[in-house]
Amino acid sequence: MFFVTPFLIYMGIVFFIPVGLILFTGFVSEETGQFTFEYFQAFFTQGLYLRVLWTTIEVSFMGALIVLLCGYPIAYYLAKQPPKRRMYLSLFVLLPFYTSILVKSFAFVVILGHSGAVNWLLRFFLGEDFGVQLLYNRIGVMFGIVHDMLPFIVFPILVNLLAQNPALHRAAEIMGASRTRIFWQVTFPLSLPGIFAGILLVVVRVMGQFVTPSLLGGRTDIMMANLVDFHVNDVLDWNMAAVISILLAVMAGVFLVALARLRGAQIFGAET
Amino acid sequence: MADSNLRRVETLGGLPPARGTVWVAWFMFFFLIAPSLIIIPMSFGDLNEIYFPPRSLSLFLYREYFFESVWMETTFQSIKVAILSTMAGMFLGATAAYGIVRATFRGKKMLGALLLSPLFVPNIVIALGLYIYFARMGLQGTTFCLVLGHTLFVTPFVMVVVMAALRGVDPNLEAAAKTMGAGRIYTFRRVTLPLLRPALVTGGLFAFLMSFDELVISFFLSGFGTQTLPVKMYDSIVLEISPVLSAISVLLTLLAFVICVIITIFYNPDRRTRLRLTGEAETETKTTET
Repeated sequence: MFFVTPFLIYMGIVFFIPVGLILFTGFVSEETGQFTFEYFQAFFTQGLYLRVLWTTIEVSFMGALIVLLCGYPIAYYLAKQPPKRRMYLSLFVLLPFYTSILVKSFAFVVILGHSGAVNWLLRFFLGEDFGVQLLYNRIGVMFGIVHDMLPFIVFPILVNLLAQNPALHRAAEIMGASRTRIFWQVTFPLSLPGIFAGILLVVVRVMGQFVTPSLLGGRTDIMMANLVDFHVNDVLDWNMAAVISILLAVMAGVFLVALARLRGAQIFGAET
Repeated sequence: MADSNLRRVETLGGLPPARGTVWVAWFMFFFLIAPSLIIIPMSFGDLNEIYFPPRSLSLFLYREYFFESVWMETTFQSIKVAILSTMAGMFLGATAAYGIVRATFRGKKMLGALLLSPLFVPNIVIALGLYIYFARMGLQGTTFCLVLGHTLFVTPFVMVVVMAALRGVDPNLEAAAKTMGAGRIYTFRRVTLPLLRPALVTGGLFAFLMSFDELVISFFLSGFGTQTLPVKMYDSIVLEISPVLSAISVLLTLLAFVICVIITIFYNPDRRTRLRLTGEAETETKTTET
């Protein structure tokens, strides 16, 4: 207990009091000083806010699904490699994980933009006046999110695949099952806990995303975190900002509880 | 636990992956690495235009970065904040991890979860809380509150790394030191900390990078004159998309690459680390005997 004290005191001052302040700002009326739901009512009765809430949920789940489809083959391929080669190959996944989100967002502006790399290629092959709008819309957001979240799904699945008992695969093989059959009847069902852990981890992280929707998305791709920024820095409405972040934290909390309940879930597998 | 550690080093059994899987995997590797590659040619481009491919090659953008005061000021601010919060985070994180792992009281799991809880709260929520808090105290926009915010952000990461390493340190070594009359702080400082060196290096580097790249908390807490590099970069992408960004991006990617490789070498949660740790423990006890 003695060694825990410094950080516990620190958290009391720099974490618990601010969290309490958010709750206070969201639940206590500015005029009367009484407990109130008026700010929450304001949130849930305005179309704009509800639309942003919906966008947040939609982007989180769509993103998680695409990330899973892109990430599973990576994890599977890595799991099949000998340890040394796997370590080198996993640098492909680790480097983006360590790279600043701003660098990645800027790079995607360069890649997807009107005079960017993709459009340059298209013009090169298809003619001068060809061009597609890949930036400042949902496509741009999805590119950014999938790229940003891949490590968070690859590593939980990889850890799961490597923990699978190799004897099971050998047994299936000896009994004459084809590669496809082994995958769908042995490997995949056994990896479901890793998949769910990865998906929940991605959903929680995407919900609080601020940079990607702001830099790669358009006006209609605004998410909850951007709404907090808007209320603090543009309209100076702290009460609404507090309401939005309370909702965001509660949503994240629900998914985290689900994550913690998953047996074999590896929350930190991807963090370190 | 030991069993799963043994299996972790192995490979998933069965036939090699199908050709289609290999193609998809390598395509995804390319997608993952593409942003880091694209900025390299861009960074040698010319003045005031983002155009792929760049029309002429020069070092103009790098010169611009190193000699324009705004970029350098924000870089130094970021380094300052990152160093201070890493130091604070290492102290708070290592002590807290030790306290939790070696604790014997009931509810230590709850306490551990409580101390790690900033990891699970979206950064924007932490940022808003600290913003309101510091604004009410009139401290808003100072470097001091930036460091306080970043320390809260990085400490749980250090804690996670140190906690994992501590589980591989034999508690008997500490018990031996205590029977020979060392106090608990002395034991922690002279026996445990040296054994944790790889984890501290890893956690510290990770904390430094996390703080150096952190945007959301800095965006809310920094004010005029205390902007960090990521905040300046964010503003630049929103407002003008300055080409200098590509030179900065290359330098930041290099930093990330170096730290990523060091951590990958140092931090290996396989049993190899465990062996190395116990090996070091043996030499350590020998030297203290003589």
